[in-house]
Amino acid sequence: MITKESSGEKFKGFIASRIVFVLAVIIALLAFLYFSRGISIILSILIQVTIFSIITMSLNLETGYTGIPQFGRVAAVIAGAFAVGAIPGRIMAAFMGLPAGAEYASDTVNFRLVPQINALLASSWLISLGFLVMCLVLAALAGALIGWLISRPAIRLKEAYLGISLLAFGDFLMWVGHNWSIIVGGSTPVNVPDPFRIFGADRFNVIVPVFFVIAILIFIYMNKLTQSPFGRNLRMLRDNDLSANAAGLNIVKVRTQSLVIGAAIAAIGGGLYVIYTGSVAAIGLTRLTFTFWPWAYMMLGGIGSNIGVFMGVFLLTILRTMIIIFRSTWFGFLLQVGIDPLWLEYTLLGAVIIIVILFLPHGLVPEKVAPMLPANRVKKVMAQRQ
Amino acid sequence: MAPWLSSGLIYASGLALTAGSITLLYIVTRTFNFAVASMATIGFYVVYTGVTLFGGLPYQYYPFAIIIGSITGIICYYGLNRRLLNRKAAEITLMMSTLGYDLVLLSLIQMYADYLTYTFKLFPRRVTMSLFDFEIFGERAAAFILPLIAIAFLTILHFFLTKTKFGISMRATIENPTLAGTSGINSDRVYLVSWVISGGMAALGGSFMAMAMTGTPVMGMYTIPLMFAGAILGGLGNIYGGILGGMVIGLTEYAGVYILAKNFGPWILGYRMGIPLFIMAATLLIFPRGLSGIPLGKIIKKRFGQKRGANV
Repeated sequence: MITKESSGEKFKGFIASRIVFVLAVIIALLAFLYFSRGISIILSILIQVTIFSIITMSLNLETGYTGIPQFGRVAAVIAGAFAVGAIPGRIMAAFMGLPAGAEYASDTVNFRLVPQINALLASSWLISLGFLVMCLVLAALAGALIGWLISRPAIRLKEAYLGISLLAFGDFLMWVGHNWSIIVGGSTPVNVPDPFRIFGADRFNVIVPVFFVIAILIFIYMNKLTQSPFGRNLRMLRDNDLSANAAGLNIVKVRTQSLVIGAAIAAIGGGLYVIYTGSVAAIGLTRLTFTFWPWAYMMLGGIGSNIGVFMGVFLLTILRTMIIIFRSTWFGFLLQVGIDPLWLEYTLLGAVIIIVILFLPHGLVPEKVAPMLPANRVKKVMAQRQ
Repeated sequence: MAPWLSSGLIYASGLALTAGSITLLYIVTRTFNFAVASMATIGFYVVYTGVTLFGGLPYQYYPFAIIIGSITGIICYYGLNRRLLNRKAAEITLMMSTLGYDLVLLSLIQMYADYLTYTFKLFPRRVTMSLFDFEIFGERAAAFILPLIAIAFLTILHFFLTKTKFGISMRATIENPTLAGTSGINSDRVYLVSWVISGGMAALGGSFMAMAMTGTPVMGMYTIPLMFAGAILGGLGNIYGGILGGMVIGLTEYAGVYILAKNFGPWILGYRMGIPLFIMAATLLIFPRGLSGIPLGKIIKKRFGQKRGANV
């Protein structure tokens, strides 16, 4: 008993030291970037971190906790992005008496409509806030719907079959958006009304803290969810679905719930991404950016560990940004033979996945299975029972 | 031949080879090989480089495509897959490792395309390989030659698996790895050979597919869901099932798009990817183990044959 406890303490200390070490590396890299490039690069890193940590946390819920090989994360992100690109702007347009039907998404109409909506949004902070909340709610609803739709056939399939079906579904959704111009303009991007227009030149400085708060709220929600009995069910399902079934767990229901919650959260991430960039282009919502990068983040950070996911996103986003901004100074030798160093981003992505699998299978911050109640309270309850 | 049939045959033979490559590797090593995407693109670029820099017909560069594809397979086996197999890694881990390898290969392909553009002033980012083809009986030669090459390749593979000693030991490893190991079969070599064959098949399949579609550096990346659809349709249990699945997926895509576009208008072309995916989903719903899961022998016996066993 004593040895077990002390080993648990040691494990906790090990995780804490890992976290401190990774944080130190992140802060050092951020400081380096700050002194060489200024604050704007830090802000753009932070915004990517918030959006992708939301998406990766949802992936972690489905893959890390439930054990579903979610290779179609992009599907839920697309659902959120399409919902924000298509619906709130139309609602506003209908409200203002502007064309809101199929013609809303056509590029000749859309570029004149959106500035008018933006002007209304900029006039009152209440409308802006309401618009932002409406966007997020619609994104989450659309994501939940897609998650439920995916879960219907997905429940029947197993490991690799399931992963490939999810991947194919995500790709198919992208092509639908690219071809069906009523949703988000097809091959021409649709502009999204900007709820942060009211801040004018400070727009960017406001977006970062707002998104950060949303990400922190989702992080807290995820932590609570995965420590709750529901989270226990998910882990049980992941580690041994047969025994979970034998213990009376409704596997189909739990899997569906996990897929729906995960998809709703990923869709919020997609919606935030679209609000930040200000336009939706279906072809830009690729499997590479919104499925494979989140997988790399999750694997580097540690599958089944929310804080680890956050660190993984942070570290890799900084590295990606460094490749982009130092491409001519560090990789000039590639430019001399006409090669664009931006491709090194793919190399980094692949190399991270390979290195993590070979040498760091549990990630930077391994999963910590904490009891639902702290140990001293469990002891108290036991003492009371006796 | 109708234009959709000739393009469809070319494309389907390519998909059949890539789906067969995925299936072969899966039944031997339990690895779902994502890197097939980049291996296929590599095969296409080997042929493209040969045709543009040294001239001649695309067909004469296919052996080189097979060799380069096999080499990428060997690198993946020794660098990655072998360690994970020794570690008895989970199926998803194996799959993710090949995804990482695929992305590294993809970045190398992109760099190579940049290099070709810069050094040789070529346009490797949008290639129509069928321009380098010739005509037989007023049809594109590829429509006849490629299916024949695919059939020849598969015949050789079949004889290799059934008639040679190593092929038989390979099948034994597929059936029961532990028993094969105790009877003295070197499973390490079996795994290596399966990577070599499947790498070659993937590269050859990619160079086939480029004859029917526009060759780009992300060609494999866009078609990988269809390759997987073919493998899954085949049931992942039998290499011939995978080949048949790829063939079905490829032909139905071309035939389906042709028929639908004729009846509903050309807007349907954008959703062409949906047709094979729909077929895959429908088949999986009826036969959860794919085409090779259809109890064809049983059905035939039930209808025409006699009952086996003691019929008391």
